[in-house]
Amino acid sequence: MKNPYRVLGITLAVPGALLAPLFYFLLSSVPLAATALSAIILGVTCIALANARPYISPEASQTLLKTGMENTAALLEELGLQNTAIYLPSHLRDGHPQALVPLSKDGGLRNMREKLPGRLIVRYGPDNADVAIAVTTAGSVNLELLSRKPGPTVEDIESALNYLLTGVMDIASGVTVHLADSTITVNVAGAKLTYENTWYNRCLGSPLASVAAAVASEALARPVRIIEEVSSHGKTRISLELLS
Amino acid sequence: MRIYNKLIFSLVIAFCAINIVLAFFGQKDLSVYFLAQALAFFIITLVYSYLNTRARAALNSLSLVIFAGFLVVALIKVMEIMQK
Repeated sequence: MKNPYRVLGITLAVPGALLAPLFYFLLSSVPLAATALSAIILGVTCIALANARPYISPEASQTLLKTGMENTAALLEELGLQNTAIYLPSHLRDGHPQALVPLSKDGGLRNMREKLPGRLIVRYGPDNADVAIAVTTAGSVNLELLSRKPGPTVEDIESALNYLLTGVMDIASGVTVHLADSTITVNVAGAKLTYENTWYNRCLGSPLASVAAAVASEALARPVRIIEEVSSHGKTRISLELLS
Repeated sequence: MRIYNKLIFSLVIAFCAINIVLAFFGQKDLSVYFLAQALAFFIITLVYSYLNTRARAALNSLSLVIFAGFLVVALIKVMEIMQK
């Protein structure tokens, strides 16, 4: 009975079910009976939502997320990597979307191979300097929550991001996406997780940007890099660059 | 859980508005109230279609029950009209 939605649901549905016949047959009041009927529908809705709450507490989820982020940050810090990560679609990484952090400063994907091996340290091009660390990010894992791969349109990307950030993770209240040339701008309203200037975020972006980059990369089947992440007045603007 | 709260608040506001408006116009038929509430429920839950899979499935089951009630009431109304 700890679940507040279940308590609210029972509090509404049970009195509603008891009062509806009383109001209708004894008091002959249709508006009052209709109000009781509303209470029943609301109560059952609350009970249905209570059953859909996650089994794992937010505290446990936060601990797991923090552990993973700190381990990746320690790896990046130890290797002295400060380059911005490149998010790859799943078809380039054996079906698992991941982010590449190039070892060299000017590490682009000019001569990238068609398919990269599923290893931590990968050689992605013909030059000796074309080496990168491949890591799984929050965004990569979240793609598994989508029932189908998002299509290559702005609407599909926006819909997938709204589903993940608002419906599933509940860390934002709305997402809009704009695509111009090779730049994708993602505006996130009511974001609960904002950008913090940490080593992890400088390389891989905040969890919000990571999800946005992973979804955009998968939808457009092209590598994506996070260019900028700005938070102001409860809104976060994420700029992504589409790489060829 | 803000998304769940928003859905519940939307339903409360819609149901209150429907009941007040219909009562104001002197509606005495309970089935009219139910049909209006069911329609509001379908529309609002459709707007929140981006809820997580488990919540969506739970709401779909509830929608199915309400839709069955909706059909029964609508059928009774149609039969009443045809008998006249």
